[in-house]
Amino acid sequence: MKEFGTRRKRPLGVLSILVVAVTAVAVSVTTGAQARSNAGELKGAGSSFVAPLVSVWQQKYEASKGVKISYNPIGSGGGISAITNKTVDFAGSDAPMTPDQFNACNGCVQLPWALSATSVMYNLNGVKNNLHLTGPVIADIFLGKVTNWNDSRIKKINPGVALPDKEITPVYRSDSSGTSFNFTSYLNTVSKQWKSQIGNGTTVNWPKGVGARGSSGVAGVVSRTEGAIGYVDVAYALKNHLKFAAVQNRAKRWALPGLIGIKAASLADRKFSSTNALSIVNPPPGKKFRKAYPICTYTYVILRTTSPQAALLKPFVTWALTTGQADGPALKFQPIPKVVKAKGLATLKKVHS
Amino acid sequence: MAVAQERAAGPAALQRRGRFRPGDAILYVVTCAAALTGVVLLALITREVLTDAWPAMQKFGLGFLTTQAWGDKHNTLFGAKSFIFGTIVTSFGALLIATPLSLAIALFLTELAPRWLKSVVAPLIDLLAAIPSVVLGLWGILVLGPFIVNTMGPALHGTLGFLPIFSTKPSVGSNMFAAILILTIMMVPIISSICRELFVGVPSELKDGALALGATRWEVVRGVVFPYARAGIAAAMILGLGRAVGEAIAVTQVIGNNVAIHWSLFEPGDTLASRIASQFQGAATALQIASLVYLAVILLVFSLIANLAAQLIVRRVAGRHQIR
Repeated sequence: MKEFGTRRKRPLGVLSILVVAVTAVAVSVTTGAQARSNAGELKGAGSSFVAPLVSVWQQKYEASKGVKISYNPIGSGGGISAITNKTVDFAGSDAPMTPDQFNACNGCVQLPWALSATSVMYNLNGVKNNLHLTGPVIADIFLGKVTNWNDSRIKKINPGVALPDKEITPVYRSDSSGTSFNFTSYLNTVSKQWKSQIGNGTTVNWPKGVGARGSSGVAGVVSRTEGAIGYVDVAYALKNHLKFAAVQNRAKRWALPGLIGIKAASLADRKFSSTNALSIVNPPPGKKFRKAYPICTYTYVILRTTSPQAALLKPFVTWALTTGQADGPALKFQPIPKVVKAKGLATLKKVHS
Repeated sequence: MAVAQERAAGPAALQRRGRFRPGDAILYVVTCAAALTGVVLLALITREVLTDAWPAMQKFGLGFLTTQAWGDKHNTLFGAKSFIFGTIVTSFGALLIATPLSLAIALFLTELAPRWLKSVVAPLIDLLAAIPSVVLGLWGILVLGPFIVNTMGPALHGTLGFLPIFSTKPSVGSNMFAAILILTIMMVPIISSICRELFVGVPSELKDGALALGATRWEVVRGVVFPYARAGIAAAMILGLGRAVGEAIAVTQVIGNNVAIHWSLFEPGDTLASRIASQFQGAATALQIASLVYLAVILLVFSLIANLAAQLIVRRVAGRHQIR
């Protein structure tokens, strides 16, 4: 064992401890002061799906109303954890909260505040954009039953396309994700095997493929893996120039995750659940839904009914539900229908300080 | 040793011996509080982890360790088997590569390299430890993954494909082999810098004596340096192992997060720490949270065993060394 410093040095040691202590106190005092000066700020976290839209809202809202909004796109699951632990004023989630999550959150409400689609993207050199895929084929790819791009079932729906002899690598989200919820909810409606073995959720037990963290992680792995297939919100796919599939809807048409397809799907479910949830995946074949893209979702904002920031929060969410919707189309967010807006505004009345 | 014992007697002893020194008293209180904080924190964390994991421990019992599942259709079945497998394979795999590499680096820098080269290379290797793990993970996705798929994987599969660990060709850069390489990069600076200190500490009389007897450089290393530093090397390896077992973010980025047990390293898998990091936030059900914390309990036990083993090895080897 080594000996400690000599006695002569000891005063220096005490001094350094004092210096550390004083600095620590000073730092804590200054950070405290900073926290106080930010009283006019709203903090949010959650869905990365809705993040591009929220970042436009942040700028516009601060410019016009002078209230600063911060939003941390840590994923829907992370947002629900954050609002449950009261570390944020609002959370974004593409998946409605589960009963367990509602209980844990204790006094939370959710309301749909934006609407968009999940794209099925792929990486195949020399193959055109908007390859045709049907729901059952996508489900069987993620179940590990269709394993090669030159499978006869893919060839049959893509006449004239030269499909390579390449193994298919499904890529999914490893973190708790609303995009996963949207995608698996769709697979649930198109594949009996998926429904009975895997089910839908923000995290499920993926039978095949590899997981990656966040939209950026999935896009990163797909874009660097020849033969990979994954899913990501359509704004992200467009921004990063990824190829995505045209998916067959129940009217037997090939639909793209564009504004037309999203708008057509948006009214597939008008019956709000008791927790304000709506499910618009795979709309029925009726004439109204002829152009519908089958993997669309509402994304929700979650608020505490008793919030110390209610005076700032309510005007912001009201603005997002009304004026803010106009910012959506540029980012492939379809403005929410009137009934959904009305429901949101009514729910907002429950929030108070 | 004597000074340390005197300190341990506390301010009362110091006071008796002469005038009261306020500086000493403050030092005693501050350091004692710091030491106790550590103990209390450990106790609190252990309690918290056990409490939170209790629902899952009650439901699954020890069968949790041998069940390979993570959430069935109803989100009611969880098990740790594949994550325990992944943790052991990736951390020991990394240790297997990192140890000889680190020993070679340390030997070169202490025994063979000219001084100017040493002063350049040594700090750079230590800097490897300063790369944030999330950055290392990103590099794993963007650079290492494609390299494994296009170059390294086909080469290893082609030449050593008869070994079960290379029995498949990688189709995607996220796999256990990528995790092993990332963990190796994290371990090397830890193990090599400790080994460097150890080798420098070998008394030069011993080395000079061996050289005078006509030993070659290698014989000096094998006969004097390694035996002298044995206990330290073992401890360094276990420190590195501890780093690997607990690493979450970088591993979760490159390992592929699949609930499966594959003998081929080119297949995706998952580790305990990686699963906790990727799914704790926003877990859908209370049972899933409890099961994730149960994984943390297993991780705690792992680290406890590793640390105890390290202490045991160091004590045994050091003891033997002193007798000789």
